[in-house]
Amino acid sequence: MRRVVAVALSASLILSDARPVFAHGFGPTYDIPIPLWLYLYGAAAAVVLAFVPLALFSSKERDPAHQYPRFDLLGIPWLRRLLTSHLLLGGLRLLSVGLFLLVLVSGLVGIQSGFNFAPTFVWVTWLVGFSFFTALVGNLWPLVNPWRVLFDWAEGLVRRLGLRNGLELEEPYPEALGVWPAVGLYLAFVWVENVFEGSYVPRNIAFFVLAYSLITLYGMAFFGKETWLRHGEAFSVYFGLLGRFAPTEVRVKDQEVCLGCDGCEPEACVNCYECFRRAAPDERELNLRLPAVGLGLPEKVLPGVAALVIVVLAGVTFDGLLQTPLWLEIVRLTPVTQTFGVILLPLLFFGIYLGFVELSRALGGGGDGGFRRFAAGYAFSLVPIAIAYQMAHYYTYLLIQGQMIISLVSDPLGWGWNLFGTAGFEPRYGIIGAGFVWYSQVALIIVGHVIAVYLAHSISLRLLRDPGRALRSQLPMLVLMVLYTITSLWILAQPIVK
Amino acid sequence: MVLVVVLVLGGLFFVLRPDTPEGAPRDRAFDVSIEGGEMSPDEVSVNEDDNVTLRISSDKPTELHIHGYDVEREVEPGKAAELRFEADLTGRFEIEDHDSEKELGALQVRPR
Repeated sequence: MRRVVAVALSASLILSDARPVFAHGFGPTYDIPIPLWLYLYGAAAAVVLAFVPLALFSSKERDPAHQYPRFDLLGIPWLRRLLTSHLLLGGLRLLSVGLFLLVLVSGLVGIQSGFNFAPTFVWVTWLVGFSFFTALVGNLWPLVNPWRVLFDWAEGLVRRLGLRNGLELEEPYPEALGVWPAVGLYLAFVWVENVFEGSYVPRNIAFFVLAYSLITLYGMAFFGKETWLRHGEAFSVYFGLLGRFAPTEVRVKDQEVCLGCDGCEPEACVNCYECFRRAAPDERELNLRLPAVGLGLPEKVLPGVAALVIVVLAGVTFDGLLQTPLWLEIVRLTPVTQTFGVILLPLLFFGIYLGFVELSRALGGGGDGGFRRFAAGYAFSLVPIAIAYQMAHYYTYLLIQGQMIISLVSDPLGWGWNLFGTAGFEPRYGIIGAGFVWYSQVALIIVGHVIAVYLAHSISLRLLRDPGRALRSQLPMLVLMVLYTITSLWILAQPIVK
Repeated sequence: MVLVVVLVLGGLFFVLRPDTPEGAPRDRAFDVSIEGGEMSPDEVSVNEDDNVTLRISSDKPTELHIHGYDVEREVEPGKAAELRFEADLTGRFEIEDHDSEKELGALQVRPR
């Protein structure tokens, strides 16, 4: 332990200027590691519970994945009026663009070494808060995405000025590229979040946002707005992934509008916002559904989606791993080794994933469509694990650091303003006891694990079309998920070193 | 099947779960020294509701601050200062040098 601390201290001396190195871009950790007994208990529960979905559901006939109970919220007249009102939708877009500009302004001209709106908003409120909202409520990103809104506005303006063709060049997008541009950009984002030393410096945030804006606006203009949003805009693809877990969906009843759209499947048009926009108002549904059913849909999986799931999974694991003594001992935090870590961990995860998929396919007696179809098909089953671990890892951080935004909205630039009278708000610590945090973290991880096992099994039924073979094919997937879940729990049980 | 799982996991929980720390909150005192901008020990670990006393010595005049608890104490070199508080919040809290805002160590309060 002493040696670990010494290593940690010398490492932090290399890295830090005046302030400590923060995990996850920004802010200290308030959680204490889960005790050993709870870690062992969680591991045992992960093993035992992994078999429950298989035992309960493998013998029963299952409805096809796209038939599940849902309830159309737009069927209720007053809700329909509210949810489709231009005031609400336009207001949300305006708010989003306003916040986007506020991040840029406070990053560029606001105070750099004190309390500034940009870091807290980007790293806590938006990245953690909006991710949780997307997974637990629904995906609003296609509605409020500031780059999309700004692009729409600019295009409207240009058309009014007489440019008939608008801003989109509509160059053909290479199909084989799939979502790989988004995977690359997301990986770069994980690097900024976890490795880049100045990730909490307001001005750096503004510069990164500007650079990313250039890429995004250029991509939308070059390949067409929707094409780039679906393939290259990292956050659209990322929030889209989380939105599949959400208990809400948008759906188009009559699929005639889907002709020529490469985003939706023949069986159903779910969460394809491009078609949703084009559909006539009475063809649209906004449904409540059970969580995670969207991940089992037989949707077209674009090339690179499995890689993105793995990068997201590896990204949250990396953030946790960075704070463990093991990592500090072996890797010795330097920006170079950490950069290797950010790249190698997803590669390692991807290799392990593909290995287990191949094992699963062999045990299931092959199947049509080949290895690629299986590797793409199983990817979504890992999403609940990623979401659950992300929540376990960040929810106290959101609850405590997130309170900072209350005072920051009153004084975003750190210039001593008090716009809403909340500038003096002091965050409250210890609002949830460490004991509750332990149990809830373990419970979240176990629940995500069980959902993932269930999903993997339903995906195998779809891919293999034979209950017996599907059941056999799940043995390697179980081992994979138990391994990952135990790793997550192990990270939570590690002493925190700085 | 479900019953068996519930029984197994429930039983395991009660077997593994250790007894909570016995008895009433205790008085805990720690000597901490700050030298060259580093604190030793760099982690103070107590149980919830303990009455904690930190006897602090430092080689430089400084102000020690415990984040979250928002308690602080000025320390002069060669003169030990005492910081007392009740550990009523659980979790991990940074102990920092209030002037430079540098993290010196952490206070860990384990729940009962």
